[in-house]
Amino acid sequence: MLLIECPYCGKRHETEFRYGGEAHIVRPEKPEDLNDTEWADFLFMRTNTKGVFAERWYHANGCRQWFNALRHTVSHQIIAVYKMGEKPPVSDQGSEDR
Amino acid sequence: MAKFDNWRSPVAHLSEGFPSSLTELPFTHQINLRGDITDKAFKTAVKKATGLVLPVIPNEVGMGKDNIKALWLSPNEWLIVSDHEITDIRDSLAEIHSAATDVSANRIILGLSGPDALEVLMKSCEMDLDPNVFKTGQVVQTLIAKSQAIIEKVSDDTYHIYVRNSFAAYVCEWLVDAHVEYRM
Ligand SMILES: [Zn+2]
Repeated sequence: MLLIECPYCGKRHETEFRYGGEAHIVRPEKPEDLNDTEWADFLFMRTNTKGVFAERWYHANGCRQWFNALRHTVSHQIIAVYKMGEKPPVSDQGSEDR
Repeated sequence: MAKFDNWRSPVAHLSEGFPSSLTELPFTHQINLRGDITDKAFKTAVKKATGLVLPVIPNEVGMGKDNIKALWLSPNEWLIVSDHEITDIRDSLAEIHSAATDVSANRIILGLSGPDALEVLMKSCEMDLDPNVFKTGQVVQTLIAKSQAIIEKVSDDTYHIYVRNSFAAYVCEWLVDAHVEYRM
């Protein structure tokens, strides 16, 4: 089980959180200009990173705030947490050797 | 207290089996308050209506006069708990982007106290309740036996546990059961 640090409440048990998938996916400015492939790409296609991954978490049973985390998908180590709208404090480019 | 005259506790049928360290507190007035704490007008209006300075530090409880307090719930959300009805808060906040909702009927409050309180709670909750981490005057929203709860530490060995009415009987039964081994 993971111990996740909510940027608001502090360290809490994984069971208090919900997973929110990949972070920093920007909704297209003009969805009506996209073809089906591009729209499907925005809706469904996600990177399957082996390494450091930027993802969203929701503190469902605590403060009910969304935030971002950098987690290594192999070791589950959480490298950083940061608030919505902020940039990753360190690179989220997958490095496989952590 | 006309407001509570016809109210029935969802755990009334269980209270006979409560150990002496577990009690249900009388119904209280509870208001869920939301607003932008960086907005001076909001802060001032809340202070005027309740006398409270809202806590901005996470997991803290702000105490006011005459048994009124504000529990930090999130960066823009507090639970105001009071013995007396807070009548004018909505008027005070009328022109301000905010919300004050009477949630007195949402949750009952359980009092858990005594030398075994911490261990009973530790059996039911994954939160780090170590006295060095969770201190008197702090509050957390977490899970007790998978059920959402607000735990307020009111003294070294006393906790107030706020649980949803529909989960109240379940949580009570759980706590009573968790307490069995300490009953001598
Ligand atoms: Zn939180």
